[in-house]
Amino acid sequence: MSTKHSKAAEKFLKNKAQAQWHNETLWMVREKRDKISKEVPEWEQLRHKSQDIKRYTNSHLAELLVQFEENATKNGAIVHWAKDDEEYREIVYKILKNHKVERFIKSKSMLSEECGLNPFLIEKGIDVVESDLGERILQFMDLPPSHIVLPAIHIKREQVGEVFEEKLGTEKGNSDPTYLTHAARKSLRDNFLHAQAAMTGCNFAVASTGDVVVCTNEGNADMGTSCPTLNIAALGLEKIVPNLESLGVFTRLLARSATGQPITTYTSHYRNPRQGGEYHIIIVDNGRSELLADADHVDLLNCLRCGACMNTCPVYRRSGGYSYTYFIPGPIGVNLSMAKDPRKYSDNVSACSLCLSCSQVCPSRIDLGEQIYKWRQKLDSVGKASKEKKVISGGLKFVIERPKLFNFALKCAPIVNVTPRFMKYNGLNDWGKGRELPEFAKESFNTMWKKNKIQGEVKR
Amino acid sequence: MSSRESILESIKKHTKAKHEMPSLEIINPLTYADNIQAFCDMEKIVGGTAHVLKQGEDIDQVIKTYFPDAKRIGSVLPFIKCATYNPNEVEKVQDLNGTDVAVVQGKIGVAENAAVWVSQELETYKAIYFIAEALVVLVDRNEIKTNMHEAYAWLEKHDYKFGAFISGPSKTADIEQALVFGAHGARQVLVILT
Repeated sequence: MSTKHSKAAEKFLKNKAQAQWHNETLWMVREKRDKISKEVPEWEQLRHKSQDIKRYTNSHLAELLVQFEENATKNGAIVHWAKDDEEYREIVYKILKNHKVERFIKSKSMLSEECGLNPFLIEKGIDVVESDLGERILQFMDLPPSHIVLPAIHIKREQVGEVFEEKLGTEKGNSDPTYLTHAARKSLRDNFLHAQAAMTGCNFAVASTGDVVVCTNEGNADMGTSCPTLNIAALGLEKIVPNLESLGVFTRLLARSATGQPITTYTSHYRNPRQGGEYHIIIVDNGRSELLADADHVDLLNCLRCGACMNTCPVYRRSGGYSYTYFIPGPIGVNLSMAKDPRKYSDNVSACSLCLSCSQVCPSRIDLGEQIYKWRQKLDSVGKASKEKKVISGGLKFVIERPKLFNFALKCAPIVNVTPRFMKYNGLNDWGKGRELPEFAKESFNTMWKKNKIQGEVKR
Repeated sequence: MSSRESILESIKKHTKAKHEMPSLEIINPLTYADNIQAFCDMEKIVGGTAHVLKQGEDIDQVIKTYFPDAKRIGSVLPFIKCATYNPNEVEKVQDLNGTDVAVVQGKIGVAENAAVWVSQELETYKAIYFIAEALVVLVDRNEIKTNMHEAYAWLEKHDYKFGAFISGPSKTADIEQALVFGAHGARQVLVILT
């Protein structure tokens, strides 16, 4: 019954101290979110507004995207449309090739992870530098992010110290975060000054003005786009918002939900190209438009990518981002992976205790946990239901449908209490791994009822 | 069919239930007895410093007090006398690197998160907002909005090429969630309320 997730989680949990640190640190981020959200009495109103604006935009995407394109073009930007990941990669490469770009600087973009941009460009001979500190650390280590907002949350300071010593020549054995951060600042400053083109993701694309809004704490997107006059931004088409007024809602929710800050340090609005430069905006579909037709899961397109669902998830916190088979982990990742390809990613749906905490913290009120439950119900239809579980539920059905057999089985249950351990906890009992069976009562409720042993008032 | 057309076609084909745009009116939002005080308190929380200019106090003097060792101070504002150079007059944008303090004019501030809106009107290079070791932003104390709703209502009426809400100094916690100021942008931010 073990899924790829549970096997990978087992590996993650072997380093007990690290696993405990991961769990506690993410919980601390969750607590910061709780504290700051409670300081805003209109918090729940904002979550409702966010959900309603997203539902409006996701049901009016065609007109809003065209409006965005018109306004962005009027502002002087060049707008591209990419059906899928391949077209997105080709568009970026063509722009860079036309301008003979060799040194390319990027700020964090989950879309570029989704579409495999970096390996593609590097193979073409372009020096791609990730400028977000966490992403830069991972780039040095040749690892993918394990969280969408805190990409290097699974890496210890000593590991960063070692890799910086090798790549940046920092002092041996110095793993002080301030020292290491400032070493990266110095090294990346050089990249910022000499890059020939810069690329950013996009948190919000404003239909009524053509603005691309990018939120960061480090200022890496801003530094990146400040020297090269060739700038590229790419967005999944659900990033569209109708107007600036709606940003009042989203900017109040995003950082509070993500890290417990009142707003990100930088909320930058890109409207016109740099003087004498070019501004390219790539609108990417890559399966999003098809999700619109799925009434159970269309709300996944409400996601602001804040990561709050990961920070609160008891399974994510105790299994780490790499335990999931999709590049986005946690509750939103489980759902997005199933929306992408249920046959390929079905291992992730077990990574959920159905506690629904994710649904409670989501700033856009996506019913994340409820949707995972729905995916589980569909597993059989895609041929991915667990065989063992099917046998168990088949057997259970057989017994429950036959009252005599059921009562007989109940009478026999206490025998399990005195059955030797080796017969109960062995390779055949997956459930018993890491769990203890409860003690079966000597008498069933049914028998007790019949013997009039159940006392107390019956309330009607 | 172009990709543009096929994407729009696919959206139209797959869109089911239509939802209306909600009213964005917030009932009983968080307000402050004094927006200026709330802004100053919040600036401290986000890692910056707010200074309310007293009557007769000189801006240049204030900047010098906060940054006594600054050698290279850049500002396009003609009334900033302590500036040692004009960032619009550098030969190339890279020459802005090595600026100790940049002094710019902010348009509005926001009490709930200490963000100030800086938009590129006077400056040739937006780099100046990010590249300096310290950033000084001047904001009219009568232009402190309560929250982002008010800030965006103001922004709807104003044009810009590039603009940013900046809330405190550049920061990161990417190494073990330890907070460090000065990731890539300014290490220090001083907002002077004029």
